[in-house]
This record gives sequence, structure tokens and C-alpha cells, in this order.
Amino acid sequence: MSIAKYHLSSVQASYGKTLGVAIDDLSLSTGGLYVLVGPNGSGKSTLLGILAFLNKPDQGTVSFDGALVNWTRKECALLRQRVTLLHQRPYLFSGSVAGNVAFGLAARGAGKTMIQDVVNESLEKVGLSGFESRTARELSGGESRRVALARALACKPEVLLLDEPVANVDRASAMLFESLVVSRAAYGMTIVISTHDERLGARLGASVIYLEDGKLASPPEQLPFPPLPHHKEENHANS
Amino acid sequence: MSFIADSLRMAVALILSGDSDVTSAVGTSLSVALWSVLFASVAGVPIGVAVTLGKFPMKGAVRLVLNSLMAMPTVVIGLLVYGLLSRQGPLGSMGLLFTPRAIIIGQTILAIPVIANYTLSAIQGADERILPTARTLGASDAQSLFQLAREVRFGLVAAIIAGFGRVISEVGVAMMLGGNIRMYTRTMTTAIALETSKGDFAFGLALGLILIVVALAVNLFLTVAQEGPRA
Repeated sequence: MSIAKYHLSSVQASYGKTLGVAIDDLSLSTGGLYVLVGPNGSGKSTLLGILAFLNKPDQGTVSFDGALVNWTRKECALLRQRVTLLHQRPYLFSGSVAGNVAFGLAARGAGKTMIQDVVNESLEKVGLSGFESRTARELSGGESRRVALARALACKPEVLLLDEPVANVDRASAMLFESLVVSRAAYGMTIVISTHDERLGARLGASVIYLEDGKLASPPEQLPFPPLPHHKEENHANS
Repeated sequence: MSFIADSLRMAVALILSGDSDVTSAVGTSLSVALWSVLFASVAGVPIGVAVTLGKFPMKGAVRLVLNSLMAMPTVVIGLLVYGLLSRQGPLGSMGLLFTPRAIIIGQTILAIPVIANYTLSAIQGADERILPTARTLGASDAQSLFQLAREVRFGLVAAIIAGFGRVISEVGVAMMLGGNIRMYTRTMTTAIALETSKGDFAFGLALGLILIVVALAVNLFLTVAQEGPRA
């Protein structure tokens, strides 16, 4: 029997009096592709923060690769070198695109030649070859997200956590994200994606985890059909 | 008007002649101010970071004290440090009173709250995603803080320059702890006060002009630093 990448038991995290998440039992297998689905405030980002070792839960235990996490600063810093979280609104550091993509590698003490190779390779994966010397803050929203994804991929993490990666991005960028995620999962990277899109799990062939009010929930029995776009039809009819 | 114009002419002549009293006062002023700012930055920047990011009891009180210390009169700091360094004081045996080192100690204490408060403002105004982003990319706590400092570097430069502005223009600490000894602890401000009271207005004006140039240079640097890169 293989050891789960994560095992969460009786985990609870709150913000003051507001419950963030309360998860009785959750296992994520190594190399698995998971989609966290839930409405706003359902605890998706809180759970990703715990999985990223950024936020310590108030109660419960988390195991990573079979070892119990003690949440010491040193241990969390070491674990974060194996897990990367791509935030919903990624922050790009001042400076060049290459400097941003190289950040995680430089933090790990990688050599200059290796960094350059990985930066080029990562930017190529996200379709931004030639952007190396561009100023990161001058990029469009979609380009910024791609740079942030390249920066996360450059770290070659064992686990990649993506918080709403395709929210408010153009269709081409969304498709690129999805194809990259599927290809990374095929290479054995454990991937967890949070989304409002209930169909994303089916599109990616991922295991879907439903969250509601911070707790694991059952999948909805039937997905509602999207409303018919009457106004568009009328427009077509008129044209 | 002719008195002021004559004094101004004499002041310019004094500066151009490289008068030893003028150059000594300028040199002492710049030397003690730079050392003070260096020491105050080493202490003030971490204090500002700790007060902004740290979680500890009485944090609000600490911020209030830091704010209050910014308005602390220089003579009061001079008086307190004088008490420590005078012969009867706990550090009297070190023989520091009326030396440039004594001025540096006093001015360092003067600049620390200024630099700490400016650092605090710079970090408070920084994007809250900087630290989590650095950490999730595998940076250690030290590397993450360094990245945060890099992102707010213009604010930190402004903090240091503000500290420099505070110490280069003060009189109280330099007078009380340095003793205004000619060619030794006499700074531009103490020399201006002394020479003007003696009636040597031209000498005071010459140093005043240099002080204004230094202050303007500092402000210019501050403005450029705050604007940041024009990218």
C-alpha cells in the first residue's frame, strides 16, 4: 500500500470566530490530480494554505509523505521547498521576468547555468520565450499569471497547489494552464487546484473534492445546466 | 542689507579659501552623522521590521513610544547620555564625554526612532503578498525578509536619509556631548551657534551655506529615492 502524500486528520482552522476549514479525514495520494470545488468562503484557500505549510491549523494533524508535520519554522521552511502554491492573484517581484522565474531556484542555491536553463525552459512551457528581460510589472494580467506559473514550475515541486488559476483569464491561457497541469501530473507531480468551475475536474480527469462551509461535502447530485443565453440568440437573430 | 551682502561675500571667500576651521567643522559633522546613521540603521531597520511583522504583547504601546521618541528634544537626549557618560555616570570610566564618539552615541539614539518609524511605514505599505509568495517559492525566513526589504528598498533608503537629515541638523546632542571643542568635536551647527554669538556672522553664514547645500543634497537624494525607477 503506497503512502499518501498528505493525510489530514481532524484538521480545523479558524479566523477569529469564523471557521476556515474543519476536515475530519482527507488523504491525497502521491502523483494525484485533485480539484477542490466550492463556493466563495468554503475554505478552499485556507486548505491550500495548510497544504502549502503557510498556515498552521488550530487543531488536528497533517502528515506529509507519512511523516507527521510538527509545524516548526524550520520544518515548514524545508517542506515549502517541496511544495509550491500559486496564489489566486500572484505577486510578481520588481525586476525582470527572468529574475522572478529564477527566484525559487536561487533560494535553493542553484547554480547560475542551471538557473538560466530552467528559466528558459519554464518560460517556453508557458509560451513566453523571449520575455526574460521584460519588466515583470509591465506585463498584462494573463502574462503575469503565466510568469507566476513558470516561476512555480521552475521550482520543480513535488506538489503544486493552484488557487483559482483560471479565474478571470482568457480562454487561451486557461487551456494552456489546463494542458500544463495534466502534463505535470503525468510526470508524477501531485497537483491540487481550487476552482468554482464544477466541470474542471471532469475536463482534467481529476479527483474532485467538494468543500462547503469549510467541510468536505458530497458532490451535487446533478449539475445545473447553465442558463440559456437568450440575449445572444436574439442578437444573432437580428444580425 | 550691505551687512548681509558683505557677510555673504566673506562666507563665500571662507569656503573657497579652504579655511581649516570650516573644513574641520564640515568634516566632523559629516563623519559623526554618517557613523550615527550607520549604527542607527543597523538598529532601527530591524526594530521597524519587528514592530510591523512581529506578534507580541504591547505592540501598540511600542509603536506609540517609537512615535513619541521621534519628537524627543535633542537636548533631552543629550542630557540623558551626558548623565551616562559623565565622570559620575555608569559609563564615566570610558572617558567618552566630549569626544566625537559621544556625539555618535547621542545622535544614534536620536536617529533610531526616525529610521524605525520610516521602516515601519515602508513595510506597512508593502504588498501583503510579498512574504507568502517568497515563502511558498521555498525561501527561508531570512531570504523572504531580504526579498521584502528589496521590494521596499526605496522606502528604506528614505528612512536612512530621514535619519541623516535629523542628525546633520541637530545642535543639542553635539553641543552637550561634544563640548564644541575647536578642530575636534566642533560640528557645523555648534560652530554656527558659537561664532554667531561671538559676532562672527560671516563664519556662521559660511557654515550655514554649506549646511543648506548638504541638506538640499539629502532632500534631493530622498526625492529621487522615493520616486524609484521610472520603469
